[in-house]
Amino acid sequence: MVPHPNHARPRRATGQPVFAHPSEAQFASLLSFYGIAWLYEPTTFPLAWGEDGRVTLAFSPDFYLPEFDLYIELATRKPGEMTLKNRKIRRLQELYPEVHIKLVNRRAFEDLLLKFGLEERSSQLVGGGSHA
Amino acid sequence: MPDPCPATPWRVGMEDLARVLIGEEELRARVCALGAEISRDYAGKDLLLVGVLRGVTIFLADLLRAITIPVAVDFIGISTYGPSTETGGVVRLTKDLEEPIAGRHVLFVEDVIDTGLTLSYLLRTLRARGPASIQVCVLLDKRAHRLIDVDIAYRGFELRDEYVVGYGLDHRQRYRNLPVVGVLRPDRY
Repeated sequence: MVPHPNHARPRRATGQPVFAHPSEAQFASLLSFYGIAWLYEPTTFPLAWGEDGRVTLAFSPDFYLPEFDLYIELATRKPGEMTLKNRKIRRLQELYPEVHIKLVNRRAFEDLLLKFGLEERSSQLVGGGSHA
Repeated sequence: MPDPCPATPWRVGMEDLARVLIGEEELRARVCALGAEISRDYAGKDLLLVGVLRGVTIFLADLLRAITIPVAVDFIGISTYGPSTETGGVVRLTKDLEEPIAGRHVLFVEDVIDTGLTLSYLLRTLRARGPASIQVCVLLDKRAHRLIDVDIAYRGFELRDEYVVGYGLDHRQRYRNLPVVGVLRPDRY
């Protein structure tokens, strides 16, 4: 039961990660603006194993903020996404109680956009897409 | 001749509120209580209130008058994230403090704290200047929206997941002059 580095996520030639969804790129830009160091999906946490010991369920939180030892997961796509992510987070906290994680739901993300005058981009950044 | 500043004034913009969340009397009572608490805790200390422009102005003005010990005041301003800064920009001070803070007791005063992003940047910046202490006083704490945890020594009200204006808080520079904190009607943003 050991979390491991996530090497699967592709990166651009500049070293910037290829974000799975525009909302993640927006969030990364916000963190960078406020001088907060972040890593994109740096760790994968196994959550369930089959009888043969192989991992059958895993979770890679979207961001890790090293300065605050905090993982952040965005749930901004489909309304039903929250349920699945909440379940994964609950399981993660059972298995790895030392890990700190926060979930940013769709409503909280929309409020962020509103706060920073980006509400007109809401339709591009919230909803749609698929997520692992 | 009508009184230009009646006790419970009506302002243009009140009609845009879905409802009043915190009325004038409740605001006054809470700010007075915070002032008394701060006066007790900082008695005999060199206290400097630092307000973060611009939403804090009304709260800070009232809080300052509720503090009964000697106190200095200064303001700091920072650029905010937005459509013009979202690609590659970084936060910067738009107005720095004029008072030195080394060896002094700084009380940061904010109108609202939600994500903690702005505050964590400001605390990081000012801690490097060697104050004797830095604490935070906030009128409205949107704790449910917190990304970065910050210690809050003095809290006016805890706020739920609602978009509020008034008593210094704006939406696109409107509603700051409302004497109450109210929930803005969704069709207004």
